[in-house]
Amino acid sequence: MVAILQAVFSGLALGGIYALVALGFNITHSTTKTLNFGQGELLAAGTVIAVSGVMLLAGKGMHGTLDPQDVTLWRYAVSLLISVVVLGLLGVLLYYTAVRPFIGLGGLSWVMSTLGFGIIIQNTALAIWGPSAMVIPSPLGDNVIRIGGAGVLPQEILVVAASVVVMLCLDTVMRKTKIGKAVRAVAHNKNAATLMGINVPAVVVLAFAISSSLAGLAGLLIAPITTASVFMGLSIALKAFSAAIVGGLNNARGCMLGGFLLGLVESMVGLWHAELREISIFMLIILVLVLKPEGLLGTRVAEKV
Amino acid sequence: MADIPTLRIEALQVRYGAVEALKGVSIEVHAGEVVTMIGGNGAGKSTLMKAISGLEGAAAGRVMFEGRDITRMPGHQRVALGIAQCPEGRQIFPDQTVRDNLMLGAYHRAASAAQIAADLEAQFAVFPLLRERLHQSAGTMSGGEQQMLAIARALMSRPKLLLLDEPSLGLAPLMVKDIFGVIRQLKQRGITLLLVEQMANQALAVADRGYVLETGNIIMQGGARELRRDPRIRAAYLGEH
Repeated sequence: MVAILQAVFSGLALGGIYALVALGFNITHSTTKTLNFGQGELLAAGTVIAVSGVMLLAGKGMHGTLDPQDVTLWRYAVSLLISVVVLGLLGVLLYYTAVRPFIGLGGLSWVMSTLGFGIIIQNTALAIWGPSAMVIPSPLGDNVIRIGGAGVLPQEILVVAASVVVMLCLDTVMRKTKIGKAVRAVAHNKNAATLMGINVPAVVVLAFAISSSLAGLAGLLIAPITTASVFMGLSIALKAFSAAIVGGLNNARGCMLGGFLLGLVESMVGLWHAELREISIFMLIILVLVLKPEGLLGTRVAEKV
Repeated sequence: MADIPTLRIEALQVRYGAVEALKGVSIEVHAGEVVTMIGGNGAGKSTLMKAISGLEGAAAGRVMFEGRDITRMPGHQRVALGIAQCPEGRQIFPDQTVRDNLMLGAYHRAASAAQIAADLEAQFAVFPLLRERLHQSAGTMSGGEQQMLAIARALMSRPKLLLLDEPSLGLAPLMVKDIFGVIRQLKQRGITLLLVEQMANQALAVADRGYVLETGNIIMQGGARELRRDPRIRAAYLGEH
């Protein structure tokens, strides 16, 4: 029982990470019908930037080792902010170099170009930080908290809390605010949105900035639980993409649901048979695609004739 | 001011690749006028509308609004100048409520909440059913209701020029009658209107002047009454042989 509860907690933490990145996929897909296939590499770059930020703030230089007392909450928060801003700018650069030239041309050039953008970012990061993993202790310490007998890391609680708060904020912005409604109008019909006086290109750039920022946020949240490295992004991005497909790529709430669902499945199955984790996740994906191709909460898009 | 037309289009050409959709169109719409553009399928009517609202770029020629050259101005900025287009096929935002659709019409305005609320009320006076449907998803309404919403949404921008692109398209006859009733009301309020229609008879009945567009060229123009009496128009567009 305790073990299951424990798995639920770590599954929720993992799920929160997948959900944030999946939401990033949803945002660019709904506004441009494209995805950033370099999202994982951006996530990793954002994370190593943030870890270096903590090191510099702690006066350790670029290649030091972080002790738990080096990672104070404010250093962590400042680095997080830096990472989110840097990634937002990278998202804008990605849009102008790898997405915009190919929008509306048909074909899948943007798949290759966003993948390529990610690889360029990854290799640049590799040249700066090297291949080894960087350890970053949690700003909340490592004292296990007991909930119902199960041990939970403070960082896991932080991950769940932060991802849920960010998602609720985004959800509220999209549904209740003027700018959110404008973004939804752009997602639905760019010409009609233009006729409302909405600056469509600006909204699209904003979507890419937010999407990349979410990846940066996810990366630094998970780093104290796993580690930070230039290679950490691919598996997270792949799971997040799966989460978006399972939940419904065109539905933000579906992407969040898919993220948590995948995290829980991965964690629960891992408890039982670690080697069945990936198998069960991808079987779940295939099952969902067969039964409901548009995803759990996705809506079938009627193509205009 | 009186001699500067609200809209003046000079020798406008629009191309889709190798296809020339407009081959040098010149028209004028003056303040307070209702002008209709009639013509068959593929004549270039919708292309002309899009070129005015900025959804389509011009290959040559000029689009002037109140004496200002806006040929290269992005579409979203033209809305702020006072050009509102109610597009062909309505194109409301079906996943948002009727109210949110109307509010998106006023998106660019920096008006006070009270002013916007007053404008909403003004729309309800013309379109009473929108008040009943205010919190309903726009996509759940009938085609005619959606057309009413699309017109009201365009009016929420307080346009100096309203472009109506085929408002009667795909609507039941009774609904078409309602829509033309609304257009008459807008005319009485002094709203400057450019109306593109396939229903030439009704369009000419409500308009002050008309143009006839055929394969990208204006082939005829004049007062609506004269055009309605013209035997060539009667034969080609009013279904008389």
